[in-house]
Amino acid sequence: MRKNKGKTNTTEKEFVFEYKAGRNHCVLKVPLQFPIQENVSDLHGRLMLLHKIPCFVENELKSRLLAFIERETLEDYDRDAEAALQRLTSGEVDINKLTNLWAKAYTETTLEHARPEEPSWDEDFADVYHELIHSPASETLLNLEHNYYVSVSELISERDMELKKLQERQAVEMDKVMQELGKTLTDHDVNTVAAQHFDAQQVLENKWASELKQVTGIQKQEYQEWVIKLHQDLHNPNNSTINEEIKVQSGQLAEAGEMGARLFEEQRQLEESFTIHLGAQLKTMHNLRLVRANVLDFCKHRRHGSGGAKLRRLQTALSLYSVSLCGLVLLVDNRVNSYSGIKRDFATVSKECTDFHFPRLSEQLEVVQQVVLYARAQRSSKQREQPEMPRNGSSDDKSKNLERNSSNILPGEFYITRHSNLSEVHIVFHLCVDDNMRSGNLTARDPAIMGLRNILKVCCTHDITTITIPLLLVHDMSEEMTIPWCLKRAELVFKCVKGFMMEMASWDGGISRTVQFLVPQSISEEMFYQLSNMLPQIFRVSSTLTLTSKR
Amino acid sequence: MQPLRDAELGAFTFFASPLPHDVCGSNGLPLTPNSIKILGRFQILKTITHPRLCQYVDISRGKHERLVVVAEHYEHNLKDLFKQDKPVSSEKVLQIAYEMLEGLAFMNKHGLVHRALSPHNVLLDCKGKVKLAKFGLYHMTDHGADVDFPIGYPSYLPPEVIAQGSFHSSEGSLGEPPLPSGPKADVWSLGVLLFELCAGRQLLQNIEISERLKFIITLGCMDDIVTVLAEEHGCLDIIKELPENVMALLRKCLTFLPSKRPTPAELLEDIVFEGVSCLYTPYQIPVSLFSSSLRCAHLELPEDINELCKVDEEDYLSERSVDEVYHLWCLAGGDLEKELTNKGIIQSKPPVCTLPNFILEDGESFGQSRDRSFLLDDTTVTLSLCQLKNRLKDVAGEAYYPLLEDEQSSLPQSNSNNELSAAVSLPLIIRERDTEYQLTRIVLFDRLLKAYPYKKNQIWKEARVDIPPLLRGLAWAALLGVEGDIQAKYDGIDKDTPIPTDRQIEVDIPRCHQYDELLSSPQGHIKFRRVLKAWVVSHPDLVYWQGLDSLCAPFLYLNFNNEALAYACMSAFIPKYLYNFFLKDNSHVIQEYLTVFSQMIAFHDPELSNHLNEIGFIPDLYAIPWFLTMFTHVFPLHKIFHLWDTLLLGNSSFPFCIGVAILQQLRDRLLANGFNECILLFSDLPEIDIERCVRESINLFCWTPKSATYRQHAQPPKPTGDSSSSFGKNPAYYSAEYQDLPNTDLSREPLKLSELKAEISPRISAEDLIDLCELTGPAHFKTPVKRPKTVKTKIVAVDIRSSEDFNRGHIPGSINVPYSSVFGPDGEMLQSPGTNALTSYKGRVIVVLSNIMKNAATFAAHLVKVNYPRVCVLDGGMNKMKPTGLLTVPSPQI
Repeated sequence: MRKNKGKTNTTEKEFVFEYKAGRNHCVLKVPLQFPIQENVSDLHGRLMLLHKIPCFVENELKSRLLAFIERETLEDYDRDAEAALQRLTSGEVDINKLTNLWAKAYTETTLEHARPEEPSWDEDFADVYHELIHSPASETLLNLEHNYYVSVSELISERDMELKKLQERQAVEMDKVMQELGKTLTDHDVNTVAAQHFDAQQVLENKWASELKQVTGIQKQEYQEWVIKLHQDLHNPNNSTINEEIKVQSGQLAEAGEMGARLFEEQRQLEESFTIHLGAQLKTMHNLRLVRANVLDFCKHRRHGSGGAKLRRLQTALSLYSVSLCGLVLLVDNRVNSYSGIKRDFATVSKECTDFHFPRLSEQLEVVQQVVLYARAQRSSKQREQPEMPRNGSSDDKSKNLERNSSNILPGEFYITRHSNLSEVHIVFHLCVDDNMRSGNLTARDPAIMGLRNILKVCCTHDITTITIPLLLVHDMSEEMTIPWCLKRAELVFKCVKGFMMEMASWDGGISRTVQFLVPQSISEEMFYQLSNMLPQIFRVSSTLTLTSKR
Repeated sequence: MQPLRDAELGAFTFFASPLPHDVCGSNGLPLTPNSIKILGRFQILKTITHPRLCQYVDISRGKHERLVVVAEHYEHNLKDLFKQDKPVSSEKVLQIAYEMLEGLAFMNKHGLVHRALSPHNVLLDCKGKVKLAKFGLYHMTDHGADVDFPIGYPSYLPPEVIAQGSFHSSEGSLGEPPLPSGPKADVWSLGVLLFELCAGRQLLQNIEISERLKFIITLGCMDDIVTVLAEEHGCLDIIKELPENVMALLRKCLTFLPSKRPTPAELLEDIVFEGVSCLYTPYQIPVSLFSSSLRCAHLELPEDINELCKVDEEDYLSERSVDEVYHLWCLAGGDLEKELTNKGIIQSKPPVCTLPNFILEDGESFGQSRDRSFLLDDTTVTLSLCQLKNRLKDVAGEAYYPLLEDEQSSLPQSNSNNELSAAVSLPLIIRERDTEYQLTRIVLFDRLLKAYPYKKNQIWKEARVDIPPLLRGLAWAALLGVEGDIQAKYDGIDKDTPIPTDRQIEVDIPRCHQYDELLSSPQGHIKFRRVLKAWVVSHPDLVYWQGLDSLCAPFLYLNFNNEALAYACMSAFIPKYLYNFFLKDNSHVIQEYLTVFSQMIAFHDPELSNHLNEIGFIPDLYAIPWFLTMFTHVFPLHKIFHLWDTLLLGNSSFPFCIGVAILQQLRDRLLANGFNECILLFSDLPEIDIERCVRESINLFCWTPKSATYRQHAQPPKPTGDSSSSFGKNPAYYSAEYQDLPNTDLSREPLKLSELKAEISPRISAEDLIDLCELTGPAHFKTPVKRPKTVKTKIVAVDIRSSEDFNRGHIPGSINVPYSSVFGPDGEMLQSPGTNALTSYKGRVIVVLSNIMKNAATFAAHLVKVNYPRVCVLDGGMNKMKPTGLLTVPSPQI
């Protein structure tokens, strides 16, 4: 309901009804609030009851009451309508402004009046790709992707080799210099050499980086052109060469796939799955998984030869433009870049393979930075407009922080990047957390937890059906993370996620989802099983279905 | 609803406006999504039936606040008349005007305003008659508040609507949302439309929207709007030549000031229609099932009855009502979203392309471009009935008109007969999805319900097979024996005056079955409140207990548009199954109920009963919400429906069996766990297979002697000779209430609660014993003899008196197991011939007979302890049997 809806001025009018009962002349006067909210039959019934009106006038009362209400309501409508017209003629409302607002409302919301859409290459490509990947051509596509991947990884290993060589050479040089230190060379000379080494490294890295960029750029373009061409050819029955090519290839690949299926067994070390029911009366079923792994394992492609990789890749490719996406929560610091820590590791992984669909990570981050600046500007202008809006105390510090560097993001905020080149993930949520994560007394009101809630909400609105969440809200273990700390944190996150999932059911009508809880590789096996024992206590695990029932 | 006839089904879609992120309502609960509000408000439109209006059939919610509305539809509309590029004849214009006004006036009477009149919303049926479409859009969207797009089409907007501003442009500039439009707004739009028909071309087509609207507003300064419009469009000659009455009509419609403009109802009476109105007969609203007037009062049979049987065409399906056809269409694999997607109305981008870039802590997102697929395209798509017709092509014509007189076979005699009777044995879930089966069931129930209450018995009979979901609301009402002018009764109850219970009701409603779209809508809440208040007010001796809201939910859901029926059903249900449960002090009723329930557990599942008693997990801890709400608090609606389909056929002791059946499904877990785990298990009841539960509870019910569930606080027998009995007594053996039977000396006698609680096993009456053992003697039978013959082998009477007493006289067929020979002083079982005899009868209903009730009860308790199922005690002991003269003395052995 709109706030000012209730303000619509109500007027009181009196309904008068006269009737004769025997020799008595009776008059019934009822004050009525207009516009009438209640049901007229009810009103009538109540009047009959309360005023003990004889039944022989029942029908008359009803028709009179109906007529009265109809007449008065019409009058109200007319009065309001003419008041509006009056405002126009008196110039209280500007006619141009008014009609422009109407026109805007039509052009912004109706297809009939909207401006024609400019064709978007991205979406066309998305359609074409989605069609192809669900056709026999998918094998060919995957093979092509794989070939490109191989050439990029060759390039990367070459780069690593060269860098390594350079570093070795420099180390030898440095050793020599250090030996001479104090004899023929001064500190200054050492520094110069070190600086030279650094520069040389930079130059080499830059050279490789630009080469990589170029190669992936070419690959991407080639690939996209090829996909479009393949699509055209497939729709042109005269040109059957590609079709046959596909048929031949698919035969070979099937075998490879089978091989892979067998090899699929070698898996992550520890993993446990649960099926749960949520909800009081109507229950929705979801899958939960507790996994001990490195967060980047979900992104990295397995090395050649392992067949599971291919299947997983096909799975990811098939669902890329579908309505069942896979997401991953990555915990990052407050700067939007990829220079350090997990952000850097993630960037490295994302470069291992060309992204044929979405812009490079660095480009996506640039866009994010701009959007962050825009969002800040929007926010501050809005706050200036409504200064009386009650703000909670903590936001004051926040806004101060922000003023210092408005391109930084705050804990609980997150940015989203899209990828087609990661092994099991399409969407990465980069959730900003601070050092508070290490503390032992995190509460459910913590920004990071609220961030998780918002992530789940985005999952709802954008059909992300599988989401991986770091259970302990850290990627690496450290000293202070004792067993009680872990248990406490896990309980908090389990319970909060459970709450959010129940809430989600009301947002999307209870679509079945998979939530993977990730714990760092470094926790002990014992700890893992303690956590996996905790899970069924918090979530209601569905009973196993016994097919051979005794009864 | 009207039959489909030559109409088609159409669907159109739109989006409700999304809610701002993370805003809470005034009660602290999350806001209701706009799509649910619309869905709730839509429901009343289904009841608006008029020959000039397209019947609304259904609304469904899709992903991301999408709504799809299904309504009666026709391919032709007024736009087709413009394509001929010449003016429409003035008689035709008058007819169209009159027909449209009929529709508008009818809408106005129900408080609806069209607001979206345009040529393509005025459909024409095969005979060229007007059918107004999309007339409910303005109502269901709360005057446009719940959608982003403006309602109405620019060229047809009346000046006052333009002046009041559009809804969503109001933000920031005008401050207040526009006031709702009145019925006269439609008259202006009608005027524009009629003008276009006369002129043979559409107005203001190639001008920008803002200019168009400005033009309409400035018409206020003109004296003669019709002439100005004609001049503007260069059709002055044509307009000048119009007959006087058409001209007058146009002038009346295109009156600038609303106060001077007539309403549709006034216009309908106007003199301009003098020549036309005689062609039309006013529409009579058909009499509904529950009303004070005679339903067949206006029935007129033709002179020659054969005329009725004249077959015009073979298309029987189109004689079924619109909602039935739609229901069947859905069952035959119809998918609304797919139909709309195929026609390109629903276009969705892959979600990976529409993700936002950055989200703030409070959930506001940035970097997401406006998605074009969310724009309004209100084209109506015709739903093809081919698939359905194909599916039903083998259904014989007789299936559409079953003969009700023939009590022998309800299923139609046709070649598909075998198939259908085979279908009866399929699981209910499958039957409910089977198109042909549902068709025959719906037709049959529809006809039976039309003949209600005359055909009450047959409704009971058919309901035992199953109840078609489409007609469940009425079928339940029939099973509950609802009769009379319920609407008048309901209207007569004061539902507005505040009462002390209001606050509690207000708190409970937003927590009751809110996963359901209908019940969580604001309309649903309003109706909930009214029905609950009506019940509380009209039952002054009873009070509102939490749980009454859950009890109301299924009735309200099924009769959403008929509060009176929901109220009537609830009022009939509560005394039957929950007599006096809603007393202010209901403890004695509930205590007795729960004690009988624990006796039932012991009777049917001694092992479980022993375990539960051992850990102290008594029914008081978990079963009160079960019985107080008749399981509506613990199950989702779709399960309640299946459960109650059977519950309503049983008598008031059937719920005990359901309770035991639920416990048995959780048996393994209960047996394996202690008190704490059991409490946890029941605090969030696991999934229950409801079909199995129903099946098992029927089985349990058949094993339970009638008098075993005797309760002294049950509903006292109805006074005989009341009106309902004139249409036959309850036809079913199973549904007969124990209390309804005449009370004799052999019936059960009331027991103090403390005594009842002390007994583990239920008592049964002497009559039941006589009955079940099929003892011949003086006519003591009070139940119909219609009973499976196998019963005899299921029961054994165990006489625990000493053998001397036994030999002096006993019930024929009973076995003598003296108390002392089986159980030792500490209740341990001894080895003896008596034990062996008992063991061989394990599984049968064991009736313990004794002179001393206490002994019998202890004996029964011991038997339960060693896991003997189905143990009960004869109420009053052997002394009760003596006067019957049924005892025999064994012939002396020679």
